[in-house]
Amino acid sequence: MSSDMRRHWFYILLSLAERDRHGSGIVRDVLTLTGGDLRLWPVTLYGSLDELRENSWIRELESAPADADERGHRRWFRITPQGRRALAAELERMERVVAVAQRRLAGVGEPFGEASS
Amino acid sequence: MTARRPSRAFAARAYRVLLHLLPREMRDRDGMEIEALFVEGAAASREQGILAFLGFLIASGWDVVRRAPYERWRRRGRPRGREEHMVQSFVSDLRFAARSFARQPGATALILLTLALGVAANTAVFAIVDGFFLRPFPFRQPDRLVYLNERAPTWNLDFTQINYPDFHTWRQRARAFESMALWGSSSINLADATGADRVDGLVVTYDFPKVLDIRPVLGRTFTAEEDVPNGPRVVVIGYGLWQTRLGGARDVVGKSLRINSVPHSIIGVLPPEADFPGNVQFWLPLGGDPNQPGGSYSYDGIARMKPGVSVEQARADLMNAHAPIWAATDSAHIVSPRLDPLREQFASNYRVMGKALGAGAALVLLIACANVAGAMLARSIFRRREMAVRMALGANATRVGRQLITESLALAAVAGLIGTLLGRWGLNALVAAAPDQLPGWVQLHADGRTIAFSIAVVLLTATIFGLAPALQPRRQNLAGSLAWGGGARTSGSLPQRRLLDALVVIEVALALVLLTGSGLLLRAYTNLRRVDPGFRPEGVTTFRLSPPRAKYANEVAINRIYSTLIERLEASPGVVSAGVVTCLPFSCHEGNFLQPEGASPTSDGSNPVVLVRIASPGYFETMGIQLARGRFFEPTEAKPGRPQPVVVNEEFARAKFPGVADPVGRRIVWNGDTVASRKLTIVGVVRDVKHYGLATPMRPGVYLSMAGVDSFTYRRSFGVAIRSSANPASVAATARAIVRQLDPELPLIDVRTAEAAVAQSIAPRRAMAFAFVAFGFVALALAVGGIYAVLSYVVARRRQEIGIRMALGARRSQVLRLVVRQGLRLVAFGVALGLPLALAATGSLSELLVGVSPRDPVTIGVAIALLAITAVISALVPARRAAGVDPKTALGD
Repeated sequence: MSSDMRRHWFYILLSLAERDRHGSGIVRDVLTLTGGDLRLWPVTLYGSLDELRENSWIRELESAPADADERGHRRWFRITPQGRRALAAELERMERVVAVAQRRLAGVGEPFGEASS
Repeated sequence: MTARRPSRAFAARAYRVLLHLLPREMRDRDGMEIEALFVEGAAASREQGILAFLGFLIASGWDVVRRAPYERWRRRGRPRGREEHMVQSFVSDLRFAARSFARQPGATALILLTLALGVAANTAVFAIVDGFFLRPFPFRQPDRLVYLNERAPTWNLDFTQINYPDFHTWRQRARAFESMALWGSSSINLADATGADRVDGLVVTYDFPKVLDIRPVLGRTFTAEEDVPNGPRVVVIGYGLWQTRLGGARDVVGKSLRINSVPHSIIGVLPPEADFPGNVQFWLPLGGDPNQPGGSYSYDGIARMKPGVSVEQARADLMNAHAPIWAATDSAHIVSPRLDPLREQFASNYRVMGKALGAGAALVLLIACANVAGAMLARSIFRRREMAVRMALGANATRVGRQLITESLALAAVAGLIGTLLGRWGLNALVAAAPDQLPGWVQLHADGRTIAFSIAVVLLTATIFGLAPALQPRRQNLAGSLAWGGGARTSGSLPQRRLLDALVVIEVALALVLLTGSGLLLRAYTNLRRVDPGFRPEGVTTFRLSPPRAKYANEVAINRIYSTLIERLEASPGVVSAGVVTCLPFSCHEGNFLQPEGASPTSDGSNPVVLVRIASPGYFETMGIQLARGRFFEPTEAKPGRPQPVVVNEEFARAKFPGVADPVGRRIVWNGDTVASRKLTIVGVVRDVKHYGLATPMRPGVYLSMAGVDSFTYRRSFGVAIRSSANPASVAATARAIVRQLDPELPLIDVRTAEAAVAQSIAPRRAMAFAFVAFGFVALALAVGGIYAVLSYVVARRRQEIGIRMALGARRSQVLRLVVRQGLRLVAFGVALGLPLALAATGSLSELLVGVSPRDPVTIGVAIALLAITAVISALVPARRAAGVDPKTALGD
């Protein structure tokens, strides 16, 4: 993917990269990851999960993992190798942007801390 | 979760409805998970407070609405042509709407709140109107059910209740009915190992379940053979009693239950919906005797008409069936049967209230619509340039119009959600305010029908207020709107201004109607509170006892337990006095006929029924009933078998001894009774106790002395009144302890203070008055908001003109007056339009207005003054803004 990955997709993949989760777990993890900035509302979440599955970046588990702390009728999701590759590609792109940005911030113009008086 | 969370359950239901916007495929696969997430989030947010909860609901709703078009579009693959265009433009319209509302959070919140209040009032009131008037009875073909009773105009009784022998004749002769039954209310003392309880239920004839088509969940109901005088001791128990007292055990049929200290055998269990006419825990066989001559009028009747029979035909048939009774014993047709549709009978007490509440809520919604329409219109006038730019850039008029409608719809949807929730809370508050006033068959809850109603209301509102602004862009002059400078920037055309003014005038007119109505109801309620009940309720605690026949076989035993009770109560600390009476104020009715000795029948044959009560000598002092003439009973004067002393009320003296200054010492007799020992001598006249309610005229009434009852005239159920300086809770505890000593199987019934009894008797009117005051204030706030919005708009538009005036020497006060005058002009037009409306509307309230004329000039004057004053206040803000205009900057624009 050359263009930016959607924010929801990115954080969902990031969340699943740590371990398998169900929907509610993803919502909570993403809230923590973003310091409360990004809340995945239910329809957006399941819509995005469906899109990610269409891309074969994630897949749904047949049953809850054996070590799951919450059982019940929840559906569980796992990131696929393709998903990891996509996430890695996105990270690489972000790193490049970050590198450029840092160079520029350190360059010409007024440095930090003295911009305002 | 142990506690029920109705608001959350309701939100979940609303959310599920909203999910229908999603494509079916997605709903089938993810619907449950999405709902579960919603419920989880709702619970968490609710714990953080009501605002967090509301925020969560709005965000969740927005999540569905925003994402749904995309999900539909995604599943169809790359959509083509027109449809794609529609979907995409709808999404972009929505996004645009959200952004444009977010730019004006204050105005948006105001519009939302306005609409939400309107919807809330309607949701709550619809649930009430639905519960009373629309929802069918939970029985098969309820429109074929009719209510039977008897009437006797000359006795001043619209409902005498039914005499069993009369009913027996009807049942044999009437042809228009499939089945016909009687019921009477009954309450019993139920004793078991866990203690004694008072339980309410019915005595019914054996065909009662057939009329209502009720099948027992266990066992059977009565047979005709069981429904006879002194029949077998059998009982059918209600679902509630089965669940609470008997643990819902499947093997209860055949078991025994101690009713009034006598074992009865349980033959069946009723289903929950058999709770008719309300709070029915058991059925006992009525056991009427068709051959008993005379007999009392004590039952209610119900019948199921044959298919295709009209109410009129059934009525005629019933009259025909009654004919032999007239021929045999009642040639003057004093008593005649009556038949009414069941619903009419049960809702009639509430009809005026229901209509008034419905009308009030509808007015609030109308005002809210006018208000929002005004706000949207003003907004669209201010946005003319924006629209013009969009059109100049190639958007067609339809597209721009649709944008505006989308905005309205989005607003309406959010307001509908908030309003429905607010309405449910309001409804719960209302139900909690009037707990035991409602009959059991009335179910007040906001269900799917209410949601549907709210959605309809919201859509209607959206169309109404979305349309006016949407029509604007078509007519605009592009060049004029785009031109820079002065008036063209914000001025609406003259028709737009007029429309805006008209909306505010309508709001003021409707607000006047509501304010007048609420003022009148409030005055009526305060008048009612000031009505002298005829006794002093302060410091009095009352309850009722009903000693069963099995243990208290005769008047001696009954008199003994009550006199012992009074003695022991009066010996208790803090108790000033105690007394007993058969019917405490606002409770039961027992009518009979009494005339002055030797009186000739009146010319019109009228013979109003007299309320007969039996009282202990100390009852009058305990209740604080005032003596007008003569004296109360002496403790020892009454003896069974001798002429009795009687205390009558003033209404009795007025009705039966017209023109007699002092009836004390006169004699009265029972209807047609010539037995000397049953003659009564008036020893005192007391002030009328408002026995049938503070707003209802009192009937003639008499008190007989308890000491004089014999084995025919004694009663077993008495109300006990205690006047005490101690607090009511400790009085009740003392009474309970004393009664337990006397008979551990005897429960205390309806323990309450006399003040609570008075308050409960007017609770429905209080709820009504308060609901209207709430409506009135909402209406006032909305009207004021409307005036403020219009004047702000006018001031903004006339900035330049005001600037010129001030440059030419106009003073601040003159500018202030100019703007305020505009506001008052709107109020004046509104009042001129609203006054005739208000007078017409309040006329229909007259039934509820105690001691106030529907055209009470003071109330109407206050309502107008309130509108005018608040109009001036709301005009002052834009007026000061106008007066603060700096001529230089205004002209430099």
